[in-house]
Amino acid sequence: MKTILMILLLVLMAGCRGPIIDTQQVPAKYVAGALPTEDPASGMWDDAPEHPAKMMVQDVTEPKLIEPGVSLLKVRALHNKDWVVFRLEWDDPTQDLIPKSGSSSDAVAIQFPMRQGSDVPDPAMGEQNKGVRIWFWKSVWQDDDERKKSGKGDRISTLYPNAAPDHYPFEAEPLKKDAKAQTEAARRYAPARASGNPILVRPNSNPVQVLMAEGFGNTTPAGSQPSAGRGVWKSGKWMTTIARPLKGGDELGTLEPGKRGYIAFAIWDGAKQHTGSRKMRSGWVPFILNEQ
Amino acid sequence: MSYWYSENRPQRQFGAVFDTNKCIECQTCTLACKTTWTTGRGQEFMLWNNVETKPYGSYPLAWDLQVLSKLGPQTWEGDTYTGQTVFEAAPAGLRVLGSERQSIDYNYPNVGEDEILGKVDRGGSLSLPQEMWMFYLARICNHCTYPACLESCPRSSIYKRPEDGIVVIDQGRCRGYQECVKACPYGKVYFNPSTGTSEKCIACFPKIEQGLQPQCFVNCIGKIRLQGWVSTPDKVKEDNPIDYLVHVRKMALPLYPQFGLEPNVYYVPPVHVPDQFLFQMFGPGVTKAKEAYLNAKEDKTLKGLFALFGCTERTIPYFKIVGDYAVALDDDRREIVRVPIYEPVVVRKAQDRIYQIMRSNTT
Ligand code: SF4
Ligand code: SF4
Ligand code: SF4
Repeated sequence: MKTILMILLLVLMAGCRGPIIDTQQVPAKYVAGALPTEDPASGMWDDAPEHPAKMMVQDVTEPKLIEPGVSLLKVRALHNKDWVVFRLEWDDPTQDLIPKSGSSSDAVAIQFPMRQGSDVPDPAMGEQNKGVRIWFWKSVWQDDDERKKSGKGDRISTLYPNAAPDHYPFEAEPLKKDAKAQTEAARRYAPARASGNPILVRPNSNPVQVLMAEGFGNTTPAGSQPSAGRGVWKSGKWMTTIARPLKGGDELGTLEPGKRGYIAFAIWDGAKQHTGSRKMRSGWVPFILNEQ
Repeated sequence: MSYWYSENRPQRQFGAVFDTNKCIECQTCTLACKTTWTTGRGQEFMLWNNVETKPYGSYPLAWDLQVLSKLGPQTWEGDTYTGQTVFEAAPAGLRVLGSERQSIDYNYPNVGEDEILGKVDRGGSLSLPQEMWMFYLARICNHCTYPACLESCPRSSIYKRPEDGIVVIDQGRCRGYQECVKACPYGKVYFNPSTGTSEKCIACFPKIEQGLQPQCFVNCIGKIRLQGWVSTPDKVKEDNPIDYLVHVRKMALPLYPQFGLEPNVYYVPPVHVPDQFLFQMFGPGVTKAKEAYLNAKEDKTLKGLFALFGCTERTIPYFKIVGDYAVALDDDRREIVRVPIYEPVVVRKAQDRIYQIMRSNTT
């Protein structure tokens, strides 16, 4: 009787369309040609196996995450021997884009040991001389770009559509005819911009930043930023792609098809004011670029 | 007290004395700072300098009540604080006991303005613990010796300048985690949603470097502020105006010393406010400080020193009394300016004979 039930269940399951689940590792499926680097809803994802990554609170370094956030991240991956793209899917009831006091941006990141191999660094941001490389997607960067492209307002007019500030010095009458002088005046009152802060002054409109770290508190943008990605929030769920090239050179490390490597993940929930080390994270998960 | 980093004092420490008795809450200081530093996009509700009416005012909203209620019993044995500071009271997993800060908390800089409550002839319609009093509390960053903002930053984007003890946020390094915004118990770090970084008072360091007092000091209408350098108790110099008021006469007191940050802005407490309220705000020294202030008119040195408040844009590291003059001295003890300690008093008759009118003095 039990056997019959099992067979029946298996037949039923085979009938349902669903991804192959691989709990052991993240297998990147090989596809020839273009990858859906900026399309988390592409049909190409349907045939990619899925890894359910278990997320845990970051409780190694202060500030620790006290209240747990989302505990599951569904990961799929595709590669074409030049680039690999990951699709990350997680539950988040609110879409948090522009950070303000009391809330931050939703974000997600993938992390690789600088040198692939079995001697992995600490999964929590790496160690001295055993660095990690991180591809970090942040919703506000994507939102900045989308607002700009669609001619919508800046962060302030989006957050506070009814605000009526009296005056900004850069709007002074004499500056109005001189765009350069106006930009200079605005820069003077935006010290982060004036000092070229990489969270603000970014080389492109790409919402993914490539970071290097060797332990806590020293995350720094990499000199080159080869990356792509896009997130879509719908019905309480983020689906985000993050892509990187396989060959990252001396600075970013290289991933080789057929060889086992490692990957780790992190998620930030803006509504819960997750920032920096206040995040949900995974340990190292085995990762393989399938050759077929 | 436990602090994340070991003690590391600067070569000299920015210090200030604010005389609360003279503040008229004109907010000229607030505007002086605003027009100098924070008129950019994203800085609309950012007031590095603010002035609030106590007991009901607060900016950001309830900044002090939040910490006071979270900190638990704040006990003193004589002059020694025996309760917990924000560092010992930090919840597990965090470096400091923080406060919740929502963007709406910055929208009411004038909440509670000028509000008093007290006894009226036939009794009030409601009763509250306060007597009929209020006072104005002008606030900037305290450039603390143990800055909670600095301690809380996991990427060490905040530093205390070794040359003057001014606490600044590296705007090129900050990644907008807002840890400092939550950690500063004085609510003196602000998040800029336009740049995504946190910003705070810089003590006008470009002026300090030129030997000049900050904008909110020199523009103060009530001349309530004096900027200088504060020494540790073992290195007190009697002719340093800040040392004299803080250490020698003990009449300028730190704001909420129980938080444990060793703030470097000191306040002469308001003499008309009940001690019970002031104990909590400025510690057990208030009774003596008030007494000294009330007797200042008989005391040439004190009277002279207060006359130096707001008399020059230059920082006054030293002073002396010469005859009936108070003299401000620079680092080499050369004279900057001298001011008369006693102003001539003219008693004017109520009736003006020339114009044939009666005058009344209103001030
Ligand atoms: S300018 Fe001076 S008197 Fe006026 S509110 Fe500020 S501190 Fe008080
Ligand atoms: S008052 Fe706040 S912001 Fe200023 S140094 Fe102290 S802790 Fe930092
Ligand atoms: S010291 Fe300078 S930066 Fe600080 S509050 Fe005063 S005017 Fe503003």
